[in-house]
Amino acid sequence: MHYEIQYRPAHALAFAHLQPGESVRAEASAMVSMTPNVAVETQANTGGGLLKSLKRSMLGGESFFTNRFTAVGSPGHVSFAPDLCGDLLVHELTGTQLLIQGSSYVSAPDSVQIDTKFQGFKGFFSGESLFFLSATGYGPVLMNAFGAVETLDLNGELIVDTGHLVAFTSGIEYTVTKAGKGWIQSFLSGEGLVLRMRGQGRVYIQSRNPAEYGRAIGAELPPRRS
Amino acid sequence: MRYDVLDAPDFGLLRITLERAGERIVAESGAMVAMDAKIKTETSMRGGVLAAAKRKVLGGESLFQNTFIAEADQQRLFLAPAPEGDLRALQLAAGQQFFLQSGAYVAHVGEELKLDTQWGGVRSFFGGLGFFMLKLTGPGTVFYASYGAVHPVAVSGNYICDTGHIVGFGSELTYTIQKFGGYKGLFFSGEGLVCNFSGQGQLLLQTRNPASLVGFLNPYRRVQSRS
Repeated sequence: MHYEIQYRPAHALAFAHLQPGESVRAEASAMVSMTPNVAVETQANTGGGLLKSLKRSMLGGESFFTNRFTAVGSPGHVSFAPDLCGDLLVHELTGTQLLIQGSSYVSAPDSVQIDTKFQGFKGFFSGESLFFLSATGYGPVLMNAFGAVETLDLNGELIVDTGHLVAFTSGIEYTVTKAGKGWIQSFLSGEGLVLRMRGQGRVYIQSRNPAEYGRAIGAELPPRRS
Repeated sequence: MRYDVLDAPDFGLLRITLERAGERIVAESGAMVAMDAKIKTETSMRGGVLAAAKRKVLGGESLFQNTFIAEADQQRLFLAPAPEGDLRALQLAAGQQFFLQSGAYVAHVGEELKLDTQWGGVRSFFGGLGFFMLKLTGPGTVFYASYGAVHPVAVSGNYICDTGHIVGFGSELTYTIQKFGGYKGLFFSGEGLVCNFSGQGQLLLQTRNPASLVGFLNPYRRVQSRS
């Protein structure tokens, strides 16, 4: 199977082209369209056990259910789009590992294993769920970016806002720290928590921050009843 | 008259050039961005009060439409839809019919073009398509918009899509609403119901779904406590 991305970068749409018998898994609600020979199976996302899976969906913005799309009898395709405007990107795994921000993951074939790697409760205070999925194995992983995506090849140190991080390759060490010197300054700076990354590898960042966007627009919308 | 679409697919903007005095175009109210000074605007409830009210109440279109009439040669008019995304032209031959999702219509050219609000039926409503669609009958040119890019699909046989991503389709196509991935899929897949189109014709999809944006933003609304 292979992914093809069209309409980049503002409103990208990804096609997973499947040979007969090939499958691809995707986050619930990502499907836009598909050929009629594609069979769909909805699975509870129990990789790593039910509890881990529940934790993942509650904390990571990743849905509890995954859809598996399989081409039956002849080649077919499925197309995927994220909720927000922005780009889609593919990272090819060659026995390597990629750590993906929970809400950035879209789709992967069976040759890629997706596992939970929970960052910790620190993330709660920033209002940004800090939660990574680990992708290992062989093949392409499809991710979304809110806004445009920038690829940074890291050799040394880099500080990234948690809301702008899409994914990074393993081998990069990271610590979650406050943006400022103290909690108060960090809060006032509006940066919340940042990732201090160190090592060699690749970092994908997105040019807009979904939580910032949500807060900016949400404050202007009429209130909802509790 | 000639037209070109600028800045598509991200922020499509329609530039109409009325080359001769007397040429005209009808547009959805609120679509005008800018125009040369020798263009006269007439606001009307096209088709009369009842037809306009039906469009407004049932089809989600606006009550009024504006007709732009050139009073001199070479007058430019810029039109834009509300959502960010694509803007495209659709040429309809005499008698050719096309269905547009309500809200996708931006403007049209052609005195003989018929726009009618069509009851889509109960299955259409429960499938997320809404109760009504705009039914166009040619000849004429219609300009329509999408949320995100327009992805045209030449359907030959069957094609399945999420209802929130449909912009429009040719009347040669028929569709059924079906559940997605079995009953478990209906409740848990996040897709709910999908549209299965069949026949030979054109299907227009948009690469983003307005309902998904609303769903994302909703938790960010302030919470009003019950007093």
